[in-house]
Amino acid sequence: MPVHETDVCIIGGGITSAMLAQKLTELRPGLGIVVVEAGNSIFDTQNRLKHRQRAMDYGEHPWPGDFLEDQQASGIISMTMAVGGLALHWGGACNRFSEEDLRLKSMYGLADDWPLEWSDLEKFYCEAERRLNVSGEASPHPEDRRSEPYPQGPIPLSYNLQILRAWAEQSGLKFSPLPMARNLTPFGGRGSCCVFDTCGEVCPSGARYSPDFTFRQLTQPKKIALHDRTLVRRLVVHDQKPTVVSAQAVHRDRPQEPIEYRAKTFVVASGYCWSSHLLLLSASSRFPNGLANRSGMVGRYMNGHKFISAIASIDDQTFAGQNMTHSLISREHFRCRPDRPFVRHDTRVWESAVGRDPRLRAPDGRLLLGDELLADWRARTKGSSVRLRAYVDVHPSADSRLTLDPSSRNRYGDPMPKIEQRVDDATQAREAATREHVFGVFRTLARASNGRIVSSNEGDYLDHPGGGCRMGVDPATSVGDSYGRTHDHENLFVVGAPTTPTGGCTNGTLTFVALTLRSAEAIARATRS
Amino acid sequence: MKRRILLQWLAAAAAIVPLERVRVWAQPRDLTPASIDLLHEIAPTVLPASLGADRLRRIVDGFVEWTRGYREGVPMNHGYGHPRLQRTAATPVARYVEQLTALDADARAKGGPWRSLDLDTRRGLLDAAFTKAGVRNLPQRPNGSHVVADLMAFYFRSSEANDYCYNALINREVCRPIQITTKKPAALG
Repeated sequence: MPVHETDVCIIGGGITSAMLAQKLTELRPGLGIVVVEAGNSIFDTQNRLKHRQRAMDYGEHPWPGDFLEDQQASGIISMTMAVGGLALHWGGACNRFSEEDLRLKSMYGLADDWPLEWSDLEKFYCEAERRLNVSGEASPHPEDRRSEPYPQGPIPLSYNLQILRAWAEQSGLKFSPLPMARNLTPFGGRGSCCVFDTCGEVCPSGARYSPDFTFRQLTQPKKIALHDRTLVRRLVVHDQKPTVVSAQAVHRDRPQEPIEYRAKTFVVASGYCWSSHLLLLSASSRFPNGLANRSGMVGRYMNGHKFISAIASIDDQTFAGQNMTHSLISREHFRCRPDRPFVRHDTRVWESAVGRDPRLRAPDGRLLLGDELLADWRARTKGSSVRLRAYVDVHPSADSRLTLDPSSRNRYGDPMPKIEQRVDDATQAREAATREHVFGVFRTLARASNGRIVSSNEGDYLDHPGGGCRMGVDPATSVGDSYGRTHDHENLFVVGAPTTPTGGCTNGTLTFVALTLRSAEAIARATRS
Repeated sequence: MKRRILLQWLAAAAAIVPLERVRVWAQPRDLTPASIDLLHEIAPTVLPASLGADRLRRIVDGFVEWTRGYREGVPMNHGYGHPRLQRTAATPVARYVEQLTALDADARAKGGPWRSLDLDTRRGLLDAAFTKAGVRNLPQRPNGSHVVADLMAFYFRSSEANDYCYNALINREVCRPIQITTKKPAALG
């Protein structure tokens, strides 16, 4: 059996793993670090333009080989399992949460407080923004004070977004360009943005940060070892002590030959789904409920935020297609006075072509052809469509769970995860009022420029999911401490999304990275002891 | 080799060859010259004739090139939220040829070749063909449902068509300096 001995074994190869590995190499040069990832390394940046073109022309997936067909979960939001993880094709949104997210219990009597101070997290937000080279503009709200400016100025607003900002601000809300991990000038071995405008699928220039760049930069000078196509199936605990001694894995090309990783410190950086899954899979006679699960909290409090969207139609003229992936954000409703009914959400505005794209039939059903189709299309492009969306703060219940599903197994016979998200009673009780509030905001926005809401919808899952290994002070109600060090195993950490007690009301990735960078310092300290 | 052994060998080989693949291999990979000619004939009806004959010819050529570049069984974008694995279908070329042959026959049944029919008759033929093929809306991109709807999607969903519609140089999804996007798009020359 191949055995690899190292100082730190990081399980999972997504954005938090990349950030953690990078920071550990800086804090502890020479530290032995192995990153083990079940999926492929897709480092062929030279092919990305071609893949993008085929995705646009034929609908082909722009990341060939980024998933494992037999390693999927019920309730998962993306099939991607590869070096880089979901951040291979994230949009690059880098919003911070706000102080309220960390104090829900003490401010509002809701959900739980996070076991760390905002001022502590804020400095790691700054570090995350530096590493991701975030482009942004200071918030107009004094509560959003920053200890450092953004490393880059804001992404220039397209003509369309300038029009839409003027329109949206007539509502009284203040809007800013969305902070994004998108290079305006070359940085970190990546190119600058030239508005390919497919950030959420693939960025051929590399302007939008993706972790594959970091991994290449770490592996080429051999600062870390990256073992891809290698699935960690179980963590094994010492016979007498509560320390993890090894990770048992298998390489996809040599399934008959188990691999063992021995390390002083193990870090599970496998995201919101596969982190809890691995801990549950690692059950043994001594730990029948899985590792780090004395509290029974592993796989519980799966979180995220609800989302409500609408399309507004306005008279102001825009030109659909200028920069569709950039948007405006208002943080006005991040805050809620404790003496008012609780509702928190962000408010986002995009250009849109919804309802103003070419169509085959006139409203009376007549088939439109050639120049008459064009004329119909042109007539409908007078004015603009605007896409609106709110990510709404909702709170998970304890039975918002990831469990092992014995009816679904991978090629090795391991049960796959099943995720069933549920919100708590308080969230359910205020659901109608929350919806009414958000649609009220949308209607207020739409009032200017003779606007009106023409369609709306509500998401049926929680976006930017986290949880399953939530952090906390009390070992009876949490899996790890504020650094992700598990209460039950002193050399086992969980980092990033799984550790969040609640999912906030805006994109989560920056927060997952900031928390991980904070964990990195504790992990570095642990490797000294 | 004795005849019996040869027959046994052929039978065994037939049993292990996936018939589905044989069927796929048997599919024509290219549109026939007659089909391409008919597409050129149909183009001024279904694409903006205001683009001019040269441009229309190039759009049809581009669509024919699209059919040649089609790959079967390739994983498609598996999406976000409720992901699922889908693969690209078999090449639509055979269906396209059948559909064009049928359109030609239907046109002749109405009195002559496509170019000789009036617009309403052409519209009626396409309406019936689209209905039969289950085409209700303009596809987001060519999807193999009907060759003419796909030709229309090939053009009308393009960045070039978007510019033509707005009469503005927007260059949607075309690499360009970000500062350009901060200005009102210039009118097409």
